Amino acid sequence: MARLNDDAQWIILMGFLVSFSLFFLALIINQSTVVGQTTAESVIEFPKNDIRDISQVIKEHAGNNGTINDPVYQDIIALSIQRKGAVVNYTLNTVYTRGPLTTDMRNYSLIHYNNGVTTYNENWTSY
Amino acid sequence: MVNDEGQLYTIEGVAAALIMLLTAYLIVGATSMYTPGDAHISDMQLEVLGSDALTMMDIPPNGTVTASPLQQIIENDSYGGGQFRVMFMNYTNVSGYGPKHDIQFSANYTYRVPADATLMSVNINSSRYLTGGEHAIRVTKWVIVNKKLPPDTGVLGRRAVLVEVLLWRD
Repeated sequence: MARLNDDAQWIILMGFLVSFSLFFLALIINQSTVVGQTTAESVIEFPKNDIRDISQVIKEHAGNNGTINDPVYQDIIALSIQRKGAVVNYTLNTVYTRGPLTTDMRNYSLIHYNNGVTTYNENWTSY
Repeated sequence: MVNDEGQLYTIEGVAAALIMLLTAYLIVGATSMYTPGDAHISDMQLEVLGSDALTMMDIPPNGTVTASPLQQIIENDSYGGGQFRVMFMNYTNVSGYGPKHDIQFSANYTYRVPADATLMSVNINSSRYLTGGEHAIRVTKWVIVNKKLPPDTGVLGRRAVLVEVLLWRD
């Protein structure tokens, strides 16, 4: 063993290649937890429950048609911006279509929702 | 022809590479500590639980067209708070049969005063007073009630109020 053996260079090179690829695989595995966290945070940020809730309460009020003087309308606008930080506006309308035998009644609602991150618009007709 | 001499050096090289790889992996992995941002994941679970409980309370029983329990609770100040406490603690598995959660809550509802357009909050019930150190999350539910708001000067009629519940684990 007087000098360093410089045989098997190809095998060493292949060993390096394999170890580098393993290193990059380890990096990818390491990132996967971050991906999970980001997804969970964006799920929280999206106001799914708020939108469902405001949409449901407005339709529950459909039929009692909102005018500017409707207290429920004013309640929803004021409470929404001051307690939830979301700008909400909506229009409710009832249209009677007089047919030859019956009169059809349909409720319409148009909802705008914006909490600074998410904007949501909804147009609904009762059939 | 591949030369098969110097095999021990090769094995040594592979071992050194593995050790370096392991070290690098450990160092990179150690930087992702449990930050407060990760706490959002358990917040999300609490938020789902609370808003599901409120949704269940806002459904009229037996399919009859009547007021939901949550509407009745707000319309009746005298017994409403106690009823809210019983229902909400049952639905969030704080009381009742089976495994229990250690969840505390503080509930109130907010309404608009028509005279000057200010907001007033009324306490419904709470399982414990907030001290300020809790990591609470908030769930809300819109309810339309038939009530005089404010109770002394208001006119009886349909009004929208916002039920807000703070939830935390102790």
